[in-house]
Amino acid sequence: MVLLILSLLFAPAARAEELAAGLSKDDIKISSSFTGTDLVLFGAIENEGGASIGIVQDRDVVVVVRGPGTAVTVRRKERLGPIWINRDQRRFVGVPGFYFVASTKPLAQIADAATLDRYHLGLAHLDFKLPAGAVMAPVDYRNAIVRAKSRGDLYNEQPGGVQFLSGSLFRTTIALPSNLPSGTYDVNVYLFRKHEIVTAFGTPLRIGKTGVERFLFKFANDLPWVYGLLAVLLAALAGWVSALLFRQRQ
Amino acid sequence: MELYLPIAEMPVNIWFMVGLGAAVGFLSGMFGVGGGFILTPFLMFLGVPPAVAVATQSTQIVASSTSGVLTHFRNGTVDFKMGAVLLVGGFFGSIAGIAVFNALKAAGQIDLFIALSYVIFLGAIGGLMFWESLGALRHGGSKVGALRREPGAHTWIHGLPLKMRFHRSKLYISAIPPVFLGFLIGLLSVIMGVGGGFIMVPAMIYFLRMPTAVVIGTSLFQITFVAAFTTMLHAITNQTVDAVLALLLIVGGVIGVQFGMRLGARLRNEQMRFALAVLVLVICVRLGMDLVLPPADPYSVVGENTE
Repeated sequence: MVLLILSLLFAPAARAEELAAGLSKDDIKISSSFTGTDLVLFGAIENEGGASIGIVQDRDVVVVVRGPGTAVTVRRKERLGPIWINRDQRRFVGVPGFYFVASTKPLAQIADAATLDRYHLGLAHLDFKLPAGAVMAPVDYRNAIVRAKSRGDLYNEQPGGVQFLSGSLFRTTIALPSNLPSGTYDVNVYLFRKHEIVTAFGTPLRIGKTGVERFLFKFANDLPWVYGLLAVLLAALAGWVSALLFRQRQ
Repeated sequence: MELYLPIAEMPVNIWFMVGLGAAVGFLSGMFGVGGGFILTPFLMFLGVPPAVAVATQSTQIVASSTSGVLTHFRNGTVDFKMGAVLLVGGFFGSIAGIAVFNALKAAGQIDLFIALSYVIFLGAIGGLMFWESLGALRHGGSKVGALRREPGAHTWIHGLPLKMRFHRSKLYISAIPPVFLGFLIGLLSVIMGVGGGFIMVPAMIYFLRMPTAVVIGTSLFQITFVAAFTTMLHAITNQTVDAVLALLLIVGGVIGVQFGMRLGARLRNEQMRFALAVLVLVICVRLGMDLVLPPADPYSVVGENTE
């Protein structure tokens, strides 16, 4: 019996299953006219063993795209007299600016909660870290982040978003919204067999901002004195020109 | 045509923003008001973060008041000495204002504070104007200017020390009231993104008793420099000045103000004041409702720029 199990474990290892995937574009430049784009990920399972024994039924693929982590502050409004006022606040670090997960089935049917938690698969299994020494935040604050990011299409969970085109070829479409944060994203593809991860594949996706607004953002933050002075001079010049135009019309 | 605002971090339609600037410029030209107290709430309604709306509005005020002060400068209706004294107060007011602004921002209360300041000021000014114009409409005549300047009248202001002579305004008064007034305007300018003309002009006429002819020019002189200083303070401490948004609003405003002035010359004063009072009260109620009604989501998430 032990031998049988061992042989089952090691036999496929000789021709281990592997994943390969590619993005329709792996370097996206956001310019001032960027209104969002669709990215297509194609993938294939190599050395797929056991197709003959009908193993296709227990085969699942999960695609995760994570943007770079940032710090966010969550504030909760409470009623104070007649007005609503921010009372409590919690700061989280390592909150992905973008998160997308697509799978062949709803995630709960693919793996147990412990596995989903370990690999941060699904909006309910993301972990937002608190800064060192901070007290535990109630789960409501965590959910508020997911809600806010989902409203801006920055967080997205698509059960059934991964489709198999043929026996081992699959694809998924990743919708990137216009307010995409820049940075290097991690794209990970996981292959599940019987609710366990058997192999994974990772590739980076670079999102960079270009154009005038990128330049202005950096300018405003790097040289605030010069930026402020130029804004004032530009405004004064516009006022002066309009005064000149107005005088000519009189 | 969509454009991404670099500091407000949101896409906007260029023509919509130019149109908004033009519409507010039109009102500004028609009623002879700065327009900052109308434009800032509108920017907030559109989803521009209040801190960015206020800072960017200061930049727009630099443009509109520069244009105005140049016209008054040519007509010789600027009291530079009075303007300079007001400006001293204005600079200190702006510095105090930015300290308050940044402390509230760190505490997460700046959005509420800006909205509350607007509700209070718009409510008070709109209410007064509504009442006054309603009475004027009923009696068929304008009561504006009924409170005329009495040169001989002495008030407690004349008992204050540090007296200065203001030749252009034909005044010999203490420097303390104008410095105090300037301070107040500087404070308002930073926190609300307004020029403050709606407070400064009545205060100069009734409180300092300056001749009406130099009031507008002198207040514009002070507003130009205070708004420029305020823009700098916001740009340096918070990086909240959106130059692209300011430019769109300025372009629209320059055009709108010309048409507004032309139409304003043809309309009856009381009707205009009544219409403006109604508009101000509507904005006040709308802002107030956002504070009082239960929010759609009691939690708000603010990201930090890591770049």
